[in-house]
Amino acid sequence: MNSLSPEVALSRISPELRPLLCSVVCNGRVGLDSSSCLRITDLKSGCTSLMPGPCCDRFKLHIPYAGETLKWDIIFNAKDPELPPDFIFGEDADFLPEPSELPHLVSWDTGKPECLLQLVKELLQQYHQYQCQRLRDSSRLLFEYGSLLEDPNYGRSMEIYAGRKNSWTGEFSARFLLKLPVDFSNIPVYLLKDTALDPGEDVALLSVSFEDDEATQVFPKLYLSPSIEHALGGSSALHIPAFPSGGCLIDYVPQVCQLLTNKVQYVIQGYHKRREYIAAFLSHFGMGVVEYDAVGFTKLTLLLMWKDFCFLVHVDLPLYFPRDQPTLTFQSIYHFTSSGQLYSQVQKSYPYSPRWDGNEMAKRAKAYFKSFIPQFQEGAFATGKL
Amino acid sequence: MAASISGYTFSSVCYHSANTNSDHEGFLLGEVRQEETLSISDSHIGSSEFVSVIEVHNHEPCAQLFSFYDYAGNVNEENLNRILKDRRKNVIGWYRFRRNTQQQMSFREQVIHKQLTNILGIPDLVFLLFSFISTANSSTHALEYVLFRPNRNYNQRISLSIPNLGNTSQQEYKVSSVPNTSKNYAGVIKEHGNEFFDKDGVMKDIRAIFQVYSALQERVQAVCCEVDQSERVREKIQEEVNKLKEEIALRKRNRAEEERRLQEAAAVPLPDNSALPDSSQSSPTQVVLSGPSVEPSVERPVNSSSPPIYSTTLPPDSPSAILLPRPQAVGSPGHPSPSLGLGNGDGSSSDSLNRQATGQEDGDDEDSSEYENLVSEQLQPPSLTETVTLGRPATLWPDGDAHSPPGS
Repeated sequence: MNSLSPEVALSRISPELRPLLCSVVCNGRVGLDSSSCLRITDLKSGCTSLMPGPCCDRFKLHIPYAGETLKWDIIFNAKDPELPPDFIFGEDADFLPEPSELPHLVSWDTGKPECLLQLVKELLQQYHQYQCQRLRDSSRLLFEYGSLLEDPNYGRSMEIYAGRKNSWTGEFSARFLLKLPVDFSNIPVYLLKDTALDPGEDVALLSVSFEDDEATQVFPKLYLSPSIEHALGGSSALHIPAFPSGGCLIDYVPQVCQLLTNKVQYVIQGYHKRREYIAAFLSHFGMGVVEYDAVGFTKLTLLLMWKDFCFLVHVDLPLYFPRDQPTLTFQSIYHFTSSGQLYSQVQKSYPYSPRWDGNEMAKRAKAYFKSFIPQFQEGAFATGKL
Repeated sequence: MAASISGYTFSSVCYHSANTNSDHEGFLLGEVRQEETLSISDSHIGSSEFVSVIEVHNHEPCAQLFSFYDYAGNVNEENLNRILKDRRKNVIGWYRFRRNTQQQMSFREQVIHKQLTNILGIPDLVFLLFSFISTANSSTHALEYVLFRPNRNYNQRISLSIPNLGNTSQQEYKVSSVPNTSKNYAGVIKEHGNEFFDKDGVMKDIRAIFQVYSALQERVQAVCCEVDQSERVREKIQEEVNKLKEEIALRKRNRAEEERRLQEAAAVPLPDNSALPDSSQSSPTQVVLSGPSVEPSVERPVNSSSPPIYSTTLPPDSPSAILLPRPQAVGSPGHPSPSLGLGNGDGSSSDSLNRQATGQEDGDDEDSSEYENLVSEQLQPPSLTETVTLGRPATLWPDGDAHSPPGS
């Protein structure tokens, strides 16, 4: 089923119910995975077909939860918009929340646009309790849950979905979705500045699926906000370790958390190191600096002269600098290749150590330039065309 | 468990519901009865099955939603009583109508149902859900209904039948046991009922028919007794007859034995053909015998005309005329051999003994055959040419004289 865009949904809903729905489709973020808003499908009406529209008053709400998508039917009555809605909890027919623990239902106020959204959040809390209780069918998984619950780092930000028992094999499965307590605040802003990619909170979620209650088939997966993923170098740059056989979540989750934290630290350190590097080059080469990346400090271009031979040096600093060595591209300003490009040579192997500070790197780079330029000049004259 | 709803109640609920511009709810009134079905099949001696049948007779619609419960689903008993009034004891369930929703009990419906179960004190309170589904272009509308038994496991669904909703020309038209609660109907019956109903409320015709039936039953019972008595009399008489037959047979045997002895002693040659008795005096198929006298059966017809005298002496014989072998089974003691020259006198042989006595019963045949076998045994050994065919035993007249059957 295709979800309706917020605009379409709002245009079809009964006018009295529009504020409630607006709060859900525009601002509705619930649960750990708040990267996208709640979705609405199957907008229908409880009025007769003779009733002129817009008069839709019931719909299906898609709620992300623990890696699943809950599909709850929400039923209003357009004729009586002041009345609270009713719910059908899809496949979870056994889920019966306690009405007295739903304050926004007991004191339903259709005049408050966020009432429905708050009610959905309260229902989700009870739904979480309901799923946790279902873990009692497996002592192993109950232990996993209990051990995580005790840890304040993970216990408060956890969603659990206990799957249906397989009627053939009797297997019981469950999925744990945890929000990893990793600090992304120090990630350079320029890496996170693309708000179109990630309009929400920066978050890292670890999903661990137990396909059997003896934890012999465990499949972990790391989900990152798009900007975080971009800042850390893309999905290919991150590989979490496999779940160890016989291991448990209370040991594995901190391990993944530390790995991610280290990655973030690398990125942060790299930024600062790059900035230091550029600063040092600026200091050493002064007027020789043509341009440099003043935001991300990833590029630097120098115009140098050796024995009346002028050349450009382009320095590209990688994301995981200083672990990864910068690339030096020497370019002649006189000579062209057969394709019409300026003659250039790329050097990736030169004396380098990540332990040097920026100053030392600048000095060593200068020395290298002096040693390499005669060779470069010779090549330019030999190969290039004026 | 089974459930049924009368057609008019169902249509009334649908009418009320379809004409509202929102969800609609109300209560179902009726009764629950127990049915026991006894079935006998080849594999079982007999088995009985108890089924609870819910019958919906009427409904009580609620004027609006939330009329007897609050936002949290707490049922207000006071409001409930105001809606149900004195019909509370007839409640067997409640219903809900909602358009374009799933056929599944909702959150609030489950909460309310639990409370209604406790408040009304009905453990098996049912819930009837109507769903009205329309296509996007409103060209097709479907009314679906499901009866739930939520207090059982997994929200058991019960099939709801509507009697006579179908082709009644091909299936039996069922009379519902739903009582008619119409006041108008009750008034008319009260006014005109005396012509058709007696003081007990039973239709007069039915009582008359029942009386006829009872009379017939009594008559049949009486006839049975008469038949029983007559059968007993007949049985007694039959026993007497059998006894008499045995006596007759015994006497015959004794006489035959006696005559055989006499015959042996006298050694009288057999007479020639001219000495054969005149056919006018005896049956052409019979030969007057000497020796064993024949004791005829008492069942012999008494209207025989001038039966011939039964003679105890053997007439002068002509072998061919006299020796008429009786048809007997091969191997039977008295079976005459055809090679012995037995014949009818004209060279032909007859292996059948004419039995043309009218009115003779089977018992006579048996007796005759016993007699015949006995006689043929006695006659065969001495002389084959002297074999005498046995005629039909003479009829014993009431006066005690023996006569041979007429016209035989």
